[in-house]
Amino acid sequence: MFKRKKHIESLESNAYWARVSREFKKNRLAVWSLRILYVLLFIAIFADFIANEKPIYCKVEGQTYFPVIKSYGVQLGLDEWPKDLAMADWYKLDYGAVLWAPIPYSAKTIDFKNNHYRSPFGPQRVESNKFWHWLGTDELGHDIAAGMISGTRTAMLVGIIAMSIATILGIFFGALAGFWGDDRFKVSRLRLYLNILAIPLGIFYGFKARPLAWYEGSFGSELFKSIGIVFFVFLLFNGIAFLLERAKRSGKMITIPVDLLVMRFIEIMNSIPALLLLLSIVAIINDQSIIYVMIIIGFIRWTGIARFIRSELLRVRRLEYIEAAEALGLSKWKTLFRHAIPNALTPVLISISFGIAGAILLEAFFSFLGITDGDVTWGSILKTARRYPSAWWLAVLPGAAIFMTVTIFNLIGDGLSNAMNPKKVK
Amino acid sequence: MQKYLLKRFWILLLTLFAVSLFAFALSKMAPGDPVEQFEDVPIQGSKAQRLRSYKRTAQKLGVDKPLFYFQFSSAAYPDTLYRITNYYERETIKRLIARYGNWELIQNYWHEIHEMERKIEKLPDSLDRNALIKLRQNTTDLFVFHKPGKINKAFRNIHTALENEALYSAIHQDSERLANAYQRVVNEPSKYKHYVPKFAWHGLDNQYHIWFSNFFTGNFGYSYESNQKIETKIWSHLRWTLLLNVLALFIIFSISIPIGVYGAVHQDSWLDHWGSLGLFILYSLPSFWIATLLIIFFTTPEYGMDWFPTHGLGDISEDDSFWDIFWMRAYHLVLPVFCMSYASLAFVSRQMRGGMIDVFQQDYIRTARAKGLAEQLVIWKHSFRNALFPIITLVASIFPGLLAGSLVIEVIFSIPGMGKLTIDSIYARDWPVVYTILMFSALMTMIGILVADLLYAWADPRVSFAKKSK
Repeated sequence: MFKRKKHIESLESNAYWARVSREFKKNRLAVWSLRILYVLLFIAIFADFIANEKPIYCKVEGQTYFPVIKSYGVQLGLDEWPKDLAMADWYKLDYGAVLWAPIPYSAKTIDFKNNHYRSPFGPQRVESNKFWHWLGTDELGHDIAAGMISGTRTAMLVGIIAMSIATILGIFFGALAGFWGDDRFKVSRLRLYLNILAIPLGIFYGFKARPLAWYEGSFGSELFKSIGIVFFVFLLFNGIAFLLERAKRSGKMITIPVDLLVMRFIEIMNSIPALLLLLSIVAIINDQSIIYVMIIIGFIRWTGIARFIRSELLRVRRLEYIEAAEALGLSKWKTLFRHAIPNALTPVLISISFGIAGAILLEAFFSFLGITDGDVTWGSILKTARRYPSAWWLAVLPGAAIFMTVTIFNLIGDGLSNAMNPKKVK
Repeated sequence: MQKYLLKRFWILLLTLFAVSLFAFALSKMAPGDPVEQFEDVPIQGSKAQRLRSYKRTAQKLGVDKPLFYFQFSSAAYPDTLYRITNYYERETIKRLIARYGNWELIQNYWHEIHEMERKIEKLPDSLDRNALIKLRQNTTDLFVFHKPGKINKAFRNIHTALENEALYSAIHQDSERLANAYQRVVNEPSKYKHYVPKFAWHGLDNQYHIWFSNFFTGNFGYSYESNQKIETKIWSHLRWTLLLNVLALFIIFSISIPIGVYGAVHQDSWLDHWGSLGLFILYSLPSFWIATLLIIFFTTPEYGMDWFPTHGLGDISEDDSFWDIFWMRAYHLVLPVFCMSYASLAFVSRQMRGGMIDVFQQDYIRTARAKGLAEQLVIWKHSFRNALFPIITLVASIFPGLLAGSLVIEVIFSIPGMGKLTIDSIYARDWPVVYTILMFSALMTMIGILVADLLYAWADPRVSFAKKSK
């Protein structure tokens, strides 16, 4: 019986998807944006094969190498460079045969012969057109084309990581608020007390009980461990609650107005000035790597998604098949994850695509200000443009890339929202 | 309405409390000794004098008090640790406790270091100079060493310094006591104490309480960097940000409203069509890019378009007339104000256009037209007012955004406003200023949201907050 129901449901959702994608395809701008996005994703994934100072394939002294692939192995510690290649200048090796990447420079390769802002059209000291800096160089001789490729990867990573975190948080809080509402979240008194107790204890054993590890370990891994311990404490206490509930020693059931609590929490989150908060957090983390910016953006930007999920679930919750699932005796959690959330997810795509645009813009802004450092990004190239006005290519290209990426995500979001609410099209 | 206001007020307080906790925690987590950062210049004089001056500064900055109302930590940490005024000593003790967990023994060890230092201070200069310097150096090093390897090395150095006979006879007892005290710390650790939670109450006389209540009386403390009071610093910067924002807001609304109305009235004309596209693009252009481009192309002779000043607000001498100053400022503000306003301008135009189109579809507009009202009257009297509601709320929501937007514009154009102050303070590690600004902008954001809600209710009597709050 379940099987059949599932079948019907999937048919229904397929029909919905078909309608949405049909509407979406009518929107030429959005479709083109999606195509450009595929290209950007391709560049981001294969960035190392597109711009690299090492050849993709080469033959040195009779030995065949695939240096780009090999360097992945070296980075993971699985492989090692032979002695004569470890410190070698890849441009000066005596190759039997060689296949260079389309852009034969990495983002951080310094080309001493072409330093001090070589224009793409100006004279460049290169051996052949193969090594021409198609988008010019900066002061030290970094190839800008390679920098743009590396920037594409960073931008996509920022979008994906920040929005993954935001989506997980958003779905969690949105589902809590929308599915249970103010009157359906019931817990036994015992479980409530145990969870309240777990908050300070989790914080204590996660963060306070291991001061030496925090002083001497690395920030990222210790944070990870600490959060793991906090989770474990909660799991433990809920396990105890579960056992006691089975033994019917858990006291009266209490209704918790989760919707109210979550909405208040969202209101509080929204009135915090996100940019300044980000700035001040990033400023005190000594490590200036972009990964923290991504994570923090994720932790700040989940409220929009949570609102979307909530309002969707408020609607879905009243649909017949959810009632049917509950009447059949499915547990609340199973109903939520198997039946309610999958049907509420589509509109979240709108919020995610706008969110990615915002996250990319924010990251570019941070590298532009020089708050984050490390990888070459669009923002960091744009930053260098201010030092030397004649180098127009440093200002025009990365900015255009940021603009294009942000715009295509906005257009995709627009297209999705129009496709899902065809009536509201203006 | 009153109920709604009350609810809003509670949320405002709660948010402010949350932000203040966050800002405070962050400012305390920031590395560095505030007293040293504040004093800057090394103070001359004897050790006792320096100590007194250090204590005075610590008192002035209020860092000699417990951090918070209560302390929730492991039993290994004493609740009186804040009484050790010196930042580095406190940090070293914290780390020693983290390693060994036996506070009583560490306290004893610390006492012995101080004793030893005092003794060395009193030694006559007639003794072997080199050995004395070595002894003194390695003893003071113990105040900052917490890793066993380093401490042992310092002890070994002290031992070699004591090979000098005269020194040995003068101080060997103290040095042995010190070494024994350290050995006890190492040999009798009580690490289990880290796993025992402890709660201690500190009362109202704590750093957070004083900082937070001072914030509301307008006393924000001192900037580390310039030793100025933060409020003077903020006021002198705030006026430029306010000027920028007021100008930008004025331009945004005086241009975007006519554009939006025009677009709605001439809906689907070619001008509206291309205008909409243009506005969309304008809205998506990152302002820091546009600002950089403008600076590069219009403020340097490189491309033959050196029309505007690159940065700053212009030099003004005492005897300039009002109009000279006015034109000078205006000339310098053209580009920054443009960069700040164009995105919001596009956004508000789009909203205005959408709002007008919505209103045009209402029944009462059809009625107005049917009874033969002049089109101008229909547009401006009947539609415009109603389309204005969403725009009003935008004022408030744009405001915090403008503050953030002015951050980058001020940095790029070197305008001494709040945004530049924030970034400069972050670079200078001047945390009190950074966190005061964070609190300020949180307050501004919340007031913005509140004002938006109130304006909304005022402009549209149909809005009922009693219902909305559910």
